[in-house]
Amino acid sequence: MCPQTIREDAESRYERFLEAYLSTELRLVNSGLPRARRTLAELLLEEHPSVRCSDGSDQAFKRSELQFLSGIIEESEAAELPLPILIELAGDEHEATVLCSGEVELKVLSRILNMPLRYESPGRVRIYKPQLSVVRRKLRTTTQYAFSARTGDEARLR
Amino acid sequence: MAQLIKVRPTKIELVKLKRRLKLSQRVQKIVKDRLSILTMEFLQAARETVNAKKRTIDAMSEAYKAMTIASGYHGYVALQKELVASEADITVTAGPRSVAGVRLPSLELNEPSGGLRGYNLTQTSSLVDSASDTSREALRAIIELAELQRGLELLGGEINRTKRITNALEYILIPSLQATIRFLAMKFEERDREEKARLKRVKVLLARKKD
Repeated sequence: MCPQTIREDAESRYERFLEAYLSTELRLVNSGLPRARRTLAELLLEEHPSVRCSDGSDQAFKRSELQFLSGIIEESEAAELPLPILIELAGDEHEATVLCSGEVELKVLSRILNMPLRYESPGRVRIYKPQLSVVRRKLRTTTQYAFSARTGDEARLR
Repeated sequence: MAQLIKVRPTKIELVKLKRRLKLSQRVQKIVKDRLSILTMEFLQAARETVNAKKRTIDAMSEAYKAMTIASGYHGYVALQKELVASEADITVTAGPRSVAGVRLPSLELNEPSGGLRGYNLTQTSSLVDSASDTSREALRAIIELAELQRGLELLGGEINRTKRITNALEYILIPSLQATIRFLAMKFEERDREEKARLKRVKVLLARKKD
């Protein structure tokens, strides 16, 4: 292959800018991730339930959603449900992985999807796009996307 | 055909280019994931907005009907007197929520505690209760619609921006990086071949000299 045109310096400057911009884009997509998750029991006691995100902003939770969650689990389990529930997207366009740190998250997902679910690998539950849509419709503020650069296969192996 | 990036033909530049290609491909994958999620959220929000609009119109019409019947029964002045006494500020909890890096508003109507209506229940009929309930329902629908509609606008804008990035990566940046890497690799191969040919020639010359 031979070169058709050679770019000028201005264009390579543009490219460097684009590269810096892309690095920023990587940070931006995960800016909504929480610095630390908080349990449902803690959040229910607050007047304005929210968590601090990695970019320093706050993610507000709807009280109606928190009440819905507390309605589908036992009262004692509220202290074991960390929020927001994290949904990892790792390259596969048809599925997502819900990061479950405990049995309560699995129970919540099973109740919402109205079907039994099992762990794909420790702490990970695989759901498909239509199911993701159902989960997001019911838990709009209490779920959060996490974008990962790993491929779907790598995510499954973990 | 993809344009070549102006770089010095050195191995260090080749390594740098390969690193840049890897970064771009990583970003492309994430941006594509983000685009698919934003599109899914947008379509869902669009469907919900249509339903919310319908619900708002229905609720407003019901509230208006109930209010007309109540004012017909009690008389406009008497009803107004009761309603003025029960006037209360509406409080809405507003906060941001993040969807794949897009800050969307989250609005929620604060319900009055204890279910108190504010007006005298003994002097009013159930028609006023019905008007009050339907009005509150209409208010709830309006707030839900406001949240969804603003979210829809913001998601639409972000989808456009993300699409531009995806296209720039897919059709400009990555092809030009790949073309430049190919070009440099071919150039180094050519140099190796020249070097080999030169060495062979030197070998032949040395052999002839020896003879």
